[in-house]
Amino acid sequence: MISARERALNYVVLTVFAALALVPLIGVVASALTPAAQASPTFTWPHHLDLGNFATAWRQGHFAAYLGSSVLVAVSVVVLTAVLAVLAGFSFALFDYPGRSLLFYVTLVGLMVPPEAFVIPLYFNLRDAGLTDSYWALILPQTAQSLAFGVFWMRNFFRSVPVSIIEAARLDGATDWRLLWRILVPTSRPALLTMAMLVFMWTWNEFLLPLVMITDENKRTAPLGLAFFQSEHTTQYSLLAAASIIVALPVVALYVFLQRHFISGMLSGAVKA
Amino acid sequence: MTERTRGRSARRTVAAAALATGLLTAVAACSPGPGGNASAGATRTAGPVSTDVAKAGKVTLTEWDQNTDPGTDASTEALNKAFMAKYPNVTIKRVSRSFSDLKTTLKLALSSSNPPDVVQANQGYPDMGAFVKAGLLQPVDSYAKVYGWDTAFPSQLLDLNRFSTDGKTWKSGSLFGVSQTGEIVGIYYDKAKLKSLGLAAPTTLAGFETALAKAKSSGLQPISYGDADKSPGIHIFGVVQAATAGKAEVRKLVFDEGGAKWTDPGSLKAATTLRGWADKGYLGSGFNGESKDQAVADFAAGKSLFLVDGTWQAAVLEPKMKTNVGFTALSPAAGQPPLTQGGEGLAWAMTSKSEHPDVAAAYIDFLVNSNGMKVLADHGNLPALPQADYRPAAGTVDADILAQWKAVSEKDGLLPYLDYTTPTFYDTLTAAVQELTAGQLTPQAFGAQLQSDYARFQQGS
Amino acid sequence: MAVTASRPTARKRPADAPGGRPARRRGRIQWKGYLYALPALTVLTVFLLVPLGQLVQISLFHWDGVSASTWAGFANYTEIARDPQLRAGFLHSLVLIFFFSVLPIGLALLLAAITTRASRLRGVSVFRALIFLPQVVAMVVTATAWTAIYAPDGVLNTALRAIGLDAVARPWLGDFTTALPSVGLIGTWLEIGLCLVLFIAGIGQIPGELYEAAKLDGAGAVREFLAVTLPGLRGQITVALTLTVIAALKTFDLVYVATHGGPGNATSLPAFEVYNRAFGTGQVGSACAIAVVLTVVILLITFLITKLQPEEDGT
Repeated sequence: MISARERALNYVVLTVFAALALVPLIGVVASALTPAAQASPTFTWPHHLDLGNFATAWRQGHFAAYLGSSVLVAVSVVVLTAVLAVLAGFSFALFDYPGRSLLFYVTLVGLMVPPEAFVIPLYFNLRDAGLTDSYWALILPQTAQSLAFGVFWMRNFFRSVPVSIIEAARLDGATDWRLLWRILVPTSRPALLTMAMLVFMWTWNEFLLPLVMITDENKRTAPLGLAFFQSEHTTQYSLLAAASIIVALPVVALYVFLQRHFISGMLSGAVKA
Repeated sequence: MTERTRGRSARRTVAAAALATGLLTAVAACSPGPGGNASAGATRTAGPVSTDVAKAGKVTLTEWDQNTDPGTDASTEALNKAFMAKYPNVTIKRVSRSFSDLKTTLKLALSSSNPPDVVQANQGYPDMGAFVKAGLLQPVDSYAKVYGWDTAFPSQLLDLNRFSTDGKTWKSGSLFGVSQTGEIVGIYYDKAKLKSLGLAAPTTLAGFETALAKAKSSGLQPISYGDADKSPGIHIFGVVQAATAGKAEVRKLVFDEGGAKWTDPGSLKAATTLRGWADKGYLGSGFNGESKDQAVADFAAGKSLFLVDGTWQAAVLEPKMKTNVGFTALSPAAGQPPLTQGGEGLAWAMTSKSEHPDVAAAYIDFLVNSNGMKVLADHGNLPALPQADYRPAAGTVDADILAQWKAVSEKDGLLPYLDYTTPTFYDTLTAAVQELTAGQLTPQAFGAQLQSDYARFQQGS
Repeated sequence: MAVTASRPTARKRPADAPGGRPARRRGRIQWKGYLYALPALTVLTVFLLVPLGQLVQISLFHWDGVSASTWAGFANYTEIARDPQLRAGFLHSLVLIFFFSVLPIGLALLLAAITTRASRLRGVSVFRALIFLPQVVAMVVTATAWTAIYAPDGVLNTALRAIGLDAVARPWLGDFTTALPSVGLIGTWLEIGLCLVLFIAGIGQIPGELYEAAKLDGAGAVREFLAVTLPGLRGQITVALTLTVIAALKTFDLVYVATHGGPGNATSLPAFEVYNRAFGTGQVGSACAIAVVLTVVILLITFLITKLQPEEDGT
């Protein structure tokens, strides 16, 4: 039984920290809705709501193009990662062959090296191959980065599938391919969704890779667009805030709709332990 | 949360990482190392040049500029539109970045497989020199002849855009671009405030310091200064150094003509003076955290007496302050001609990989010919080549600027920007000025820091 | 996050231990396994592992990225030790580790101790979602928002002046003494939600009987925390430490947007130097050497952190 006092204390702590997390973000929203003339770095509460900042930021900052690039790149990385991670996770979880553990650990290297480590040689390689300034220069390296996590994630999930299910499928004469796509993948939908969300978010928010790889205005991604927009409009706080919201919104919206799934996915591993 | 970097089963993974890296390095060691880029130094063989843009067929021309200030932004937009109207077969794609973002991304853009056709390249070793060395820009000598740039521009301005084709010697060799704007760094003053203090516009460093002291003692903020963007520090230090070190020494330093050090008395005095201004509060408080846009806005709003900045700010100030703003440049001593850094804006240059060099050259000419200069002036900018009929109304800041520009350029008073000095000097100098003004570096240590960068460059070249 | 939470899955099921027997029991080699793993391994090798090897290689050369390179041996590495600015960069990273890692974990533990029952409260999932929100917002957005807060006329200074603390007000990101801690506090703000959510989830899994037993033994709040909560959260603490320390070490976008390494070099960080040297000033070899050191430091710290955690299963 939880005492009333303890309950109240818990709520107070949670509320305070939720507020701390939210205040800067609410400030951005308020500032974005403030008419440009009233704007100041102080998050003034707007006299009247003004959606004009969004239109201005959208137009001046070329955000239509940036968001388009971001969506294309993020979706491609998610799809590629999902397919390759399912295949490799299947291999590492259910096949027995020499070097399996070693290969698995080699994929895990990708979990620990920061992009700063491989971006320089990668840039020169891709440039020599004529791939910089193309979406491939963003999609393929980020797929590699996401795979380190994806393979690990899918392998663990496949391992958690009860052996009996797999044995039963085998007895029914299912091939490996069929076992994977008809039985394992459908049961792993929640795991796949969680992985897709995380990979989407990482890719959407990535900054260094697009900064280095992309110079064509139309292929730049949203966070990059915001960084440049910021240094061109250092004193136009309303515009900056509006632009910030444009960039953050897609991921935040996804998070709002899928957060239950996201967090429960994240906790399920721990619960099963 | 943006990290994909996770710590998992770390021990095994570290071992695997070591193994993998070891193997790969072993393999890599057999290869000759990062060799020279095949395209480096390769310049297009100069074929016959054509000025007939209409015949070029459908062309998309990409240009990168740093014209984000309202004046140059408007004139660039207007000229681009006019060019496309004149040549319907050409579409211009404009990419405009703040100066510091252009600085951090232009090299990447130029070395990409599909670089822009026309770019604004900063003069000196850090940018233009590095680009030329890498074979990323093409010489424009043949176009200069065809379009008459070589005679229209004074050699003093042309030389700043010259480099030997290996990028090692500046100010001689091939021409790699021409500039559209003229610019000098000087002192904007609030006329009404200056008058209320009973002062005339300063013409020497001593006079300027007197005015600063008087403003401070009467409770007026002497200078609006914001150095969060890092580049304004170069300008304010340069203005002082021009007066304390003199033109011969500054030129020796920046052009690497030998016999001068950043620790010499003239530069040391400049550092001491600037540090003194900061200590006395002439620069305000918190300037290292304030953006330059904010400083300009504060000056325009009447919060201070002076603003030390370039002529490119006139288009920002004029609409807000009307005729209440004046512009002056300082002389080392009374009776001498003014001396200040500046000359010309970033050079419009052509990239080696541009598929339409003739169109690119025609576009550059469109920017810098007499009509281009006129459009530029119409939007409140100082053209590199002011036309004979360009006569801003008396009493305006544009008139002041033109007068000072003439005084400086006709009497050989133009000094190079200090960040041109070495490939790393922009970073070194801007950081050192922030440290000097914040009291983190003594003037002596400031000079030593610059000199160590300089010495490294001299040894290497 | 997902990884972190799933961590116990991998650890607590001995059968899962790599090298252990997989679910299938046939003794022969299943060659098809290579085939399934091949596409992922190819992408990883080409875009991640090979560049990693090249990184080490380039770090042994003087190279400006365009002209021919010259052999440098370990000169680029000795430069890191000699150049005070680079050394300072690594020191700044240490300071950031305090703000990104030590501070949020400490605070979150304290809070977790108070809210031991939080995971059973009504509406806790809403709180969890809110507290966690900063983690999903792009770093560039976070940096832009905080730049406005720290601005000379920003929210923070306005608030300070409003309560008469004019003397404290300053340009937080432009002041040599406060710039680095200010950047660090953004990190604290970012990471505390992550730690708190992790710990609340972890406490939810500690068997209630342990707390009952502690109560019966007459343990006070402090004893209860030390004897039950802290040991129960060991796994989560390790995870939080790993994630936050790595986040601190690889900070780039935050500094790129908020300070550009300034004022002076007060907030220059290794990751920022890597970018600036490689793509700005044409010191590619030196940039690679910094990147190698940074990577080694990250691997080492990750290794040391996992050492904190005792082996408890067959891995």
